Amino acid sequence: MATAGSTRAAPHSTRRVVRRRWKGLLKYGVLILFALPWVVVPIWLIVVNSFKTEGEAALLSLALPTDWALVENYTAVIVRGNYLTGLRNSLLVAVPTVIVVLFLGSLASWAYARSKHRSTQVLFYITSLSILLPPAIIPTIYLLNSLGLDGTIVGYALMMMGTRMGLVVFMTTGFVRGLPIELEEAAAIDGASRIRTYFSVLLPMLRSILLVGAVLMVIVVWNDFFFGQLLLKTSANATLPLTLYAFASASVSGLSWNLVFAHLVMTSAPLVVIYLVAQRRILSGLTEGGLKG
Amino acid sequence: MVSPASEVTAAPNKRARRPRRALRGGGWTWFLLPSLFLVGLFFVLPFVLNVPFAFSQWSTYSNSIPFVGFDNFVSLWNNGALGGAIRVTLVYAVVAMVVQNIVALSLALALRDTTRINTFFRSLFFLPVLMSPLAAGYIWRGIVDPAGPLNAVIGIVNSGFDYAWLGHPSSALFTVAFIDGWKWSGIATLVYIAGLNSIPKSLMEAASLDGASAWQRFWHVQFALLAPAFTFNIVTTLVGAMSAYDVIAAASGGGPGTATTTLNVAVQQQFSYGFFGTASTLSLTVTLLVVAVAVPLVWWLRKREVA
Repeated sequence: MATAGSTRAAPHSTRRVVRRRWKGLLKYGVLILFALPWVVVPIWLIVVNSFKTEGEAALLSLALPTDWALVENYTAVIVRGNYLTGLRNSLLVAVPTVIVVLFLGSLASWAYARSKHRSTQVLFYITSLSILLPPAIIPTIYLLNSLGLDGTIVGYALMMMGTRMGLVVFMTTGFVRGLPIELEEAAAIDGASRIRTYFSVLLPMLRSILLVGAVLMVIVVWNDFFFGQLLLKTSANATLPLTLYAFASASVSGLSWNLVFAHLVMTSAPLVVIYLVAQRRILSGLTEGGLKG
Repeated sequence: MVSPASEVTAAPNKRARRPRRALRGGGWTWFLLPSLFLVGLFFVLPFVLNVPFAFSQWSTYSNSIPFVGFDNFVSLWNNGALGGAIRVTLVYAVVAMVVQNIVALSLALALRDTTRINTFFRSLFFLPVLMSPLAAGYIWRGIVDPAGPLNAVIGIVNSGFDYAWLGHPSSALFTVAFIDGWKWSGIATLVYIAGLNSIPKSLMEAASLDGASAWQRFWHVQFALLAPAFTFNIVTTLVGAMSAYDVIAAASGGGPGTATTTLNVAVQQQFSYGFFGTASTLSLTVTLLVVAVAVPLVWWLRKREVA
């Protein structure tokens, strides 16, 4: 902050250094004031109210609970909120989707980056279009129906793979284009087959960009509600956002905030925990790695 | 999709001795096919089929799928559903985009240097990105509830303030769009930070030596060189918000009335009534809207990018 700023700005008079320091303090004061309503209060609101009884949570206050109902609320989420089923289904969708998209996407990206064929470039653009153009949901349902996969987790995961492939392909192709081709050539001269070159030369170099891809995939796939609601019809196949919605909509007389917030805490928990463990790598990956348009 | 297959034969042994040519030439079929299979079947094919479906009267009430021409468009237009949903979607997308980019750019300017304290703040402001848009909708529905913390704060200066932010048509639309901006601004911030850090420091110092004020340095150097990050953020936030559904499902359910009924909310409604044809019509409209906005916008924004 202030120190980093002053080292950058060459030797200045002490008055300037003092002024910079004050500006730094002011900056972080403003940031804290902004972070309070933007992040801290929302998180506090859901956590503290998830510990309260229904009547007390209805007041939506930021105060600590007078009556603690922590165990009751979180038990209700697991028992009536279909939480464990949702968690299992979310994992069944997200894990294969991320692995398949990263593996098949990086295979294709290598080809798109190195092949000079015009037809492969056309295919690259078509694949990349899926970043901007929204998936056509009704024909997808028709298609999955004809394949006998409508309403199944497999069908939903396949749709996710096909429509999210473009983002990973686009980012990874840009990344490979920036890599020197010499290493791959050396492997070819040594007689390595192309698939071996992919595994032993290319894939290790793609670690950082594939981490970025994995983070974005997980965020998008784990949190999807719109397509899940249209493609997964039964509560047995519901992913976490769907169980949250069903749980919240269950009571006719408005929301039971304590239960909704308890479910919400548990729905968001898996990603937040992973993020807290790996935040340094995730953030530096996202800023330095891939998101450079 | 035919040509990559022919590439296999186009890589004869002679070329194997010239690896550069070999890599740039053919032999990529099996690297491309698996991903193309998934993209072709689950992105391209539905995308193409959406056009005939939009002009059909497919519903749960009949086994046949009759072609009805522009009937779906006409009836949705005449009952006001189409025009209303287009307007709501556009307002939502613009508000979400503006909120997101103003917040993200300000945060990026404040947190550009990678210091320990900045990393902490970056990490904090990234948290909403991890939550599902549905969760974001519920959180803010609680915050802006008449009894919620927002009105409680306003109540300090204006006692007894109990405005229902989601209960009035105009404020409801702005509120849900704001939630969308809130949820995604953490990503846009990182893109702007990456953009700012790719500007050579020497340029800013040179401008400073030439006597440029802080504002001039921001406007003429950083803002100008930030163009690629701008293009990326503005286009992705705008296009993303055009598919808005999740936040609204949790916060307002499309109401009051149809005040927050975006095109995708209408798609979901038509689908739940069993009218798959009109649902397709509305979903095709989202696509057309995205194309109509994104193509000229990308073209225009790219023009001002410094190569």
